[in-house]
Amino acid sequence: MFGELKKISEVEWEVQRGYVEDMAVPGRIFLSEHLGENLELGAVKQLANVATLPGIVSYSLGMPDIHWGYGFPIGGVGAFDIENGIISPGGVGFDINCGVRLISTPLKRDDFSAIKRLINTLFATVPTGVGNVAPKKFTDNELEDIMNEGASWAVKEGYGIPDDVHSCEENGMMKDADTAFVSTKARQRGRPQCGTLGSGNHFLEIQYAAEIMDEEAAKKFGIEKDQICFMIHCGSRGLGHQVCTDHIKDIENATKKYGIKIPDRQLACAPVKSPEGEAYFGAMAASANYAWANRQMITHMVREIFERDFGVDYNEMKLIYDVTHNVAKFETHEVDGRKMDLCVHRKGATRAFGPGSPEIPHNLTDVGQPVIIPGSMGTSSYLLKGTQTAMEKTFGSTCHGAGRIASRSSAKKSHSGADIRQDLLNKGIYVRATSNKVIAEEAPDVYKPSSEVVDIVHLAGLSMKVARLEPLGVIKG
Amino acid sequence: MPFEELNHTADYLYRCSGSTIEELFTSAAMAMFSLMFDERDKGPVKIDIELESEDFETLLYDLLSELIFISEVERVVFSGIKIIIENHSLRAVATGERFSMDKHGGGTEIKGISRYGMDIEQKDGKYQVDVIFDV
Repeated sequence: MFGELKKISEVEWEVQRGYVEDMAVPGRIFLSEHLGENLELGAVKQLANVATLPGIVSYSLGMPDIHWGYGFPIGGVGAFDIENGIISPGGVGFDINCGVRLISTPLKRDDFSAIKRLINTLFATVPTGVGNVAPKKFTDNELEDIMNEGASWAVKEGYGIPDDVHSCEENGMMKDADTAFVSTKARQRGRPQCGTLGSGNHFLEIQYAAEIMDEEAAKKFGIEKDQICFMIHCGSRGLGHQVCTDHIKDIENATKKYGIKIPDRQLACAPVKSPEGEAYFGAMAASANYAWANRQMITHMVREIFERDFGVDYNEMKLIYDVTHNVAKFETHEVDGRKMDLCVHRKGATRAFGPGSPEIPHNLTDVGQPVIIPGSMGTSSYLLKGTQTAMEKTFGSTCHGAGRIASRSSAKKSHSGADIRQDLLNKGIYVRATSNKVIAEEAPDVYKPSSEVVDIVHLAGLSMKVARLEPLGVIKG
Repeated sequence: MPFEELNHTADYLYRCSGSTIEELFTSAAMAMFSLMFDERDKGPVKIDIELESEDFETLLYDLLSELIFISEVERVVFSGIKIIIENHSLRAVATGERFSMDKHGGGTEIKGISRYGMDIEQKDGKYQVDVIFDV
């Protein structure tokens, strides 16, 4: 499926200029020959289309979990000069700051046998699936604070411990949030949903550390073999979806207004330094903050259950890290030997800043930031560390997950949710979901194996393996 | 029903058709309702919608986005819709039942309506449009 792509190394391929008209820079995709068999031409075209947008620097980048998305490919990274470049909602997606966090517990696999009881309690406690609402509907004023302060709002209100905030990308709060650009509709959707998991590929999983690949980094991150952990994967819920829906229209008008030529309507964009671009960025950042608060609220619910049912001290459950994989951010990177201020879009891609980056927690400065890559249902997840290579090649970015290879509808036709649930149970993985339909849609084999995706970023040096986590139980919407 | 599901890796793609623009919009809305909830009975809920947009594609995007919004905040499971379109103005009455966690809990959450490929075409006296629902 590589067709016209030029091989740079075993795991790096170039989409040369001219693949589509008006490419300002080439594209680069990190992929093995084996995973390349599933590479969609539509996704390559999307990656090439991104390379035509004004102000793009270096490369339009594709991670090994690349697939066809909305505007940008999923697994896509594009960095644009803040002075003359653009910002695009298509480079972020509908689920703004969809992300993942990993929390450790002091429990070890050997002294933990109550997975069914725990999963049933979590399923009954953590609001999951369409139409489910949080235990508390927040007021307009509270929502305003949530959108401005993110995870730190939740911690301040008693839904966490102070260290949690420092263990989030951006300290769980993008300072440039501007709630003036969040519509009444988005607020209406946001008030009842802060502390809900949602549906689709979102999940809450109980895992154990099955393998430690890098003892030194694992020790610094605070994880050891056989340790019980939990992972939360969700985003900004209806609030973020509405912000994207609202702003796409304004940005489309701006694209015409500023005479920006785009090859696909979904790549509608505005100059970073334009009223429309700034409005979208402010609202996107507010949604990102909401998502950090959302994951923090869910963390609190899970910690309370561990404390109540398993006698674990709340404060002994440390947030290892929280990463976002759908976001645009202003970052400074070195390009051709000179420092540039860039608007970096990561769409289904994870920040993977290396050692010495001022943005990562001080105690990890000699290791690199923790990177969390969730597996598909029933498969391995990984904890990795960011690298200098990522800083040089991908604006400090890596993959975000397994990457879908078969459609949801074909998955439903070829899989029975009940059978998958039983198969997983036979492997010792207990699944609770709002329907068998969602289990069928998220069947493990409709995704690229997470282990192969992670092998490629490891080989390419974009992030290095620290630990492999295996699931024991999962709840899904 | 004049809509069919086509293959799409990450999301849901429906080809919708109708002999009039109103029928086309109705097909797209009904496709979305079928995707959102398996169980959708007729009910007492009636919601009036009025929209105006610069072109039919945007009008359809606005209608579907509005239905997602109303379904969520008013907690409604839609099962039917009547639509009148004049120029680029739309009036609609969407009907359905109240959302119940027990009955509708396994529904599919639609994050948004894709603008990609959403071009309304006229072929052999019929209107047709492909709609991708981002889930």
